[in-house]
Formats: sequence, C-alpha cells, structure tokens
Amino acid sequence: MSHERWTVTFIVSRRKGEQPPHFQSFQLEVDPDEYVLDGVERIWAFHDRSLVFRHACHHSTCGACGMLVNGVEKLTCITPIRSVTSNGGKVKVEPLRNFPVISDLSVDMSTFYTRMEETCAPQVVPVRGSALPYEKGLFEQADPAYERLADCIECGCCISACPVAVTTPEYQGPAVLAAAQQAFSLTGHAGLLEKMDGADGVWRCHSGFECTAVCPSNVDPAWRIMDLRRKVIGRRIKRLFGLAK
Amino acid sequence: MAFSKPHIIVIGAGFTGCALAYDLARRGMDVTVIERGEIASGTSGRTHGLLHSGGRYCVSDQESAVECIQENIILRKIARQCIEFNGGLFVALTEEDAAYAPRFAEGAAACGIEIEQISPQEALRLEPNLNPKVLTVFTVPDGSFDPLRLALAFAASGRYFGAQFHPYHEAQVLVFDGQRRVKGVRVLNRTDGSTREVHGDLVVNATGAWAGKVLAGSGAQVNVTPTPGVMVAYDRRLINRPINRLTPPSDGDIIIPQRRMMVIGTTSYEAEDVDYIPVEDEQVQQMYSDAVALVPGVAGCRMRGAYMSARPLVGKGQSGRSLARTFKCFDHLEADGIDGLVTITGGKATTCRVMAEKTADLVCKKLGLSIACETHAYALRSYRDYYTPNGGRP
Amino acid sequence: MENQPSPKKFLYWFDPRHRQPGTWAFILNRITALGLTFYLVLHLVVLSNLTKGAEGYDTFLEFARQPVVKFGELLVIAAGLIHGLNGLRVVLTTFGIGVTIQRQVFWMLMALAAIGTAAFAYVMFFVA
Repeated sequence: MSHERWTVTFIVSRRKGEQPPHFQSFQLEVDPDEYVLDGVERIWAFHDRSLVFRHACHHSTCGACGMLVNGVEKLTCITPIRSVTSNGGKVKVEPLRNFPVISDLSVDMSTFYTRMEETCAPQVVPVRGSALPYEKGLFEQADPAYERLADCIECGCCISACPVAVTTPEYQGPAVLAAAQQAFSLTGHAGLLEKMDGADGVWRCHSGFECTAVCPSNVDPAWRIMDLRRKVIGRRIKRLFGLAK
Repeated sequence: MAFSKPHIIVIGAGFTGCALAYDLARRGMDVTVIERGEIASGTSGRTHGLLHSGGRYCVSDQESAVECIQENIILRKIARQCIEFNGGLFVALTEEDAAYAPRFAEGAAACGIEIEQISPQEALRLEPNLNPKVLTVFTVPDGSFDPLRLALAFAASGRYFGAQFHPYHEAQVLVFDGQRRVKGVRVLNRTDGSTREVHGDLVVNATGAWAGKVLAGSGAQVNVTPTPGVMVAYDRRLINRPINRLTPPSDGDIIIPQRRMMVIGTTSYEAEDVDYIPVEDEQVQQMYSDAVALVPGVAGCRMRGAYMSARPLVGKGQSGRSLARTFKCFDHLEADGIDGLVTITGGKATTCRVMAEKTADLVCKKLGLSIACETHAYALRSYRDYYTPNGGRP
Repeated sequence: MENQPSPKKFLYWFDPRHRQPGTWAFILNRITALGLTFYLVLHLVVLSNLTKGAEGYDTFLEFARQPVVKFGELLVIAAGLIHGLNGLRVVLTTFGIGVTIQRQVFWMLMALAAIGTAAFAYVMFFVA
C-alpha cells in the first residue's frame, strides 16, 4: 500500500440476460497497490450496483475471483493494479474464457466442479509431499501427521488459458488432470489412470504450458499432466507384460 | 395424504444462511435462499478461516468460548473435507502476556477446552519459525478451514435435501400481507434485471452485518454493529498450526496457516457503510509488525493480499472488542409486532451450525412444529455438489 | 453461448496474443504441419510429371533452379526442422524430461532450427 494515487480506466465486460455483451468504462482513482478486485468492487459500490462478479475470500484461498485482466487470466484479489497498468492506463476486465457467462464477470463453474468431484480431487492433503518434487526440500521436514489445504483453489484460470480447451468441450482440462495426478500420488487408485488415459484426458494436452503460466497457486498443472502421462504409460507397459490388470 | 411443507425464505447465503438452509431442508421444509452475490461473498468468505477452539474467548466471553469448542468438535466430524486440523498454540511473548497464563488456563478448564502447557523448547520443536523468545506456551485444539468451501459444503447439503439457492438475487423489500405480517420478499434478479415476488410462510433475515440494512423501512429493527477487521496474507507457510498471542483479545493476535500462505489478523473498528470498507495502510503496517513479533520469518515474506471482513456484532454503543461474539436470533413479533420474520445475526464462522440449529428451532416453534435437529450427527455433502446439476442426488 | 468451448473456435489456436512460448511452439507446429502437408501434395504433383516422359521433367528441373523456388525449398527445410525439433520437445516433456525448463528447451531447439536452416541456405545458394 502507498499514498500514491493513479487515475485508471476500468473497461468492464457487461452482459445481462440474453442481451449481447458490451464493454463499459469507469474512471477510478486508485492506489496502485490496491488489487484489481478492489477496483471492481468499488465500481459496484459507487458507480453501478448492477455489476455482477464472483468473489469471496479476497486473499487467494477460495479461487472465486478469476477473471481476464488485460487479456490474461488473473486471480484479481492478489493482482495489484500496478502490475497490470500504469497511471492513466486501462484495465480491461472480462469473464474467464471457456465457461458459460452467468452475467457480467461471473461464470458458471458447474461442469468444472463436477469433473473435479469425479476425480476425487483432495482438498486436504498431508503437508509432507504436498509440494512439487522439483521444489527441493519444501515441507519435507513436516511431521507426517500434519495436513493442509491443497494448492488447487479451483479458480478455473488454467482452463480459461488452455489453447486446447477452447475447441474441445469434452476435454477434462488442466486442473482436473492435475488433481487426478495428485489424487493418484496419494491413493494409488488405478481407476484414475484409466479414466484419464484417453483422447479427452491426458493425451489432449498440446504442451502449451499456458496453465502453469497463469496458475496463481503453485499447482503447475502442466508438470502434473506430464507426470500423469508417465504414470499412464508406465501402467500400459506393465499391462503389456501382464504385470497389472 | 396431502401435506403441504412450510416454505421458508432465507435472505443471505453466508455461513449462517447456508447452514440454516441445510438445517431447515433436513427437517423437511421447502427452503428458498436469496443471495445478492454468490455463496459467501460478504463477511463469511473473508473470515481468516480459524476453526476456533474457544481459547481466544475463554476468559472474556465464556458463552462464546463454550459454543466454539462444542462446534469445533462437531465441525471436525461433519466438515472434515475443508478443515486442516493440526492443533494450535497460545504463546506469551512478554511478562505481561505470561501473567495472563493462569487466567487463561482457568478459563479454558471452565469452558471444557483441552489445553496443555508445553515448554518453549518443545514449542520451538513443533514450530521452528516461532519467535525464540516465547515464555509460556499452551497447545489448543485450533484448526483452520477454507471459508468458501465450508459455506459451499453446507449449501451443497441443503441442496441435497431440496433447498433452492438463488445467487445474484437481491432482496429489495419485504412484502407484507396488509397487516403486520411478512408474506414474502420482492427480489431483483441481478443477472437480467427482472424483479419478482417470492412468497413463503416465514422469512429469515440471515444477512449478518447487513441485517439492519435489509430491514430498513420495514418497521422491524435490529441492533448490529458492523465491526470490520483487517487481515494480511503473506506468501509463505512458515507454520503448521495457528499461533495465537496469549493475551486478552486484541489487534494482530493470531497467525493462521492456509494452503501455502499465512494470514495475520486482525483489527477492530467501526464502519460507516458496510457495503464498501477500505483497507487502511496503517492497519496493514500494524498487522505486519504484530506478525513479525510472533513469527520473525514474516519479515522475509512478500505480502500477497490485504483485505477486511465486517463482523456482525450484536449490540451497539460499546467498543467492538467488548461486544460479545455470541449470536442472537430475534422473533420480530416480540420485538416489533411484525409476524413472519426472524433475524439471525452475530456469531462466528465456527458456530454457524449451532446458530442455524437455534434459528431453525425458533422457526419450528413459530410454525407449531416439533422436529429435532440432526445436523450435528451427519457428515456434510461434498462442497462441489453445490455446483452439480441436481445437488449430487442420483 | 459464445463463451463456451466449441470446435468452431479453432482460429483461436493461431492467436499469439498474451501467449507463452509453449503456445508459440504449438502455433508454429500447426503452421509448419499445414505447410509440410501442402508441400507433400505439391511434391506428388511434380513427381507425376515423370509419367509424361523425360522432356516434361527436364522443363520442370529448369524451372526449379530459379532462386524463388530455391527459397521455397528452404522454407520447407525450415518447416521440417521446426516441426521435427518441436515434436522432439513434446516427446521429451511427455516422458517427464525437461518439463521445468521447457521454455529454455524451446528456445534452444528453435536456435538449432535456425542454425540448420542457415547451413542449408549456405549450401544451396553458395556451394551447390
């Protein structure tokens, strides 16, 4: 936070009912260290009460406020205005891609959450082993009994950014595949590999690595998808030699 | 046999509204929930996510402390899916803090909170990043939860029993039947701008800090003081469990781990307009120095977010810290001569289930029904079922 | 609804705005694949000249010595290198090799493709 003041134009995507979407501009005086979500909330509070957007925790633990900010997926509650524009500049806010729009900036997460549920994605995981293997030593000293909430906050940013998810409604999507990888690592449940070993599962990914670039929560979905591929291949090879069912 | 179920309209889908919808639906009623935003988009979503053991209130507000520990134990059973439970610590940093220890131990015993005094060496073994100068340390059964997911789990369970949720629908005004009886709510659908009336047998105002605003102009009144507190999130997880300062409730007295973060809370002040409360720089700075006192490693962390949440404290005229943290449900027939209207406000996230239980008991009493509460005995549905097309029912 | 996934949106594949090297690689692979497929068809058409006897083929060879055609051939070589090396990167990452350094791998392989193309250009235009 600072005592600096910027004038910034928020260009907000609006959509009500069946009317075609359009953009509406709001000029705001902001502290550049405020977050984009603070700006959106102020537009609602002081300029236009009809603005619809999704938000809850305001500190990146719930994943409700994913939006497109100047064309890039951001968790708006932890995206400082300073990081996306300059004094006198613009902040274009749109709903996430690849999800049905409910209204304005709010999208329908039903399909995504249903897929996460079908994957038995764990929300509480042991602290030890909850970091990625390449994050050397992180949490490795933790008592085996300690647990924590998982990294994935189900914000949908990765699915919005994925260049393959744009064209394939049936594609499970990065977060779901990453969740399958983590669930398999924890439970060893082979059914997860079977489920993801298919054209709309682990093999649909085209190695764009956009998911990892936009993930606000250290999930690294692309790494997990590649790891899941290895596990799927490993299982196929074992099956070939009659070592697995 | 024709049996028409009573229809209850709940305004607000925070912790209380969601838990209440679940409780009423589980007791066999038709429930319609009207929410201006999405689930938990007000105070509830922004709580620091501490599953209270009651330790914080065991000296100053024992009624709240007892509620907390009882509900702590129940939530750990029914909402395990969104709670990380590693216990918690109360630590004394100064002689003054340490002098509070006997009162704390006494209060905890009186409230039935299981605490244990451990040596500073043991505390530092459990939490290596703790301030090495700790004098006195107690373990408590604290935990932390994901705010949105806890509310969603209650909402999902409500949907499973048939409750209907209408997010992005704003309650504009209460509709009366000509006498002093509420028969429904006029609702604005914020996704398309249309309005309609929803009628029911009873309306429950579960809007917490907004409870007074929702009733404005209806003749009914409620004394709620929106008392915001600022919280700051840092980008590393240096602790395994919530660390409380061993003092009477005060500013910056707790650090809570969450995912890969830590959240420090909180302050207490009074706000004018509950719809938008700015986060002041001075308070963020204060949170930072309070956090560094408990866990010096915070100095090496980056700030990830700063936000505030407006507690709905029942009562007016006293300073926020001295207002009780317990909840209150009002039958407006007794207070204002208005029938068909109940308000539930106050309380804490940890106690949302029992708040719902007491409110549902009141609703039953008003309707002349006697159906027992069961919500303490069954695990909640998966929070993701809130978003599945038929609420997870086959 | 326009915000949902649909096969009709395939043009988004070629939109490089706000994208990472991974997607640039993806776009490059799509474009080079289309180019190489087009070249394969062209190649078969040209080969079919053989059925018209030696004379027709010689005329074509004469035509193929023009610098413009040579440049076209160089593009084919560049496309082949880019596509092949990119494919190698996808295979490597699929087996978990170099996933965390995939950007660097991409730039390295593209540098290799550029060097290869330059070498071919040198041979085609100055040696042969």
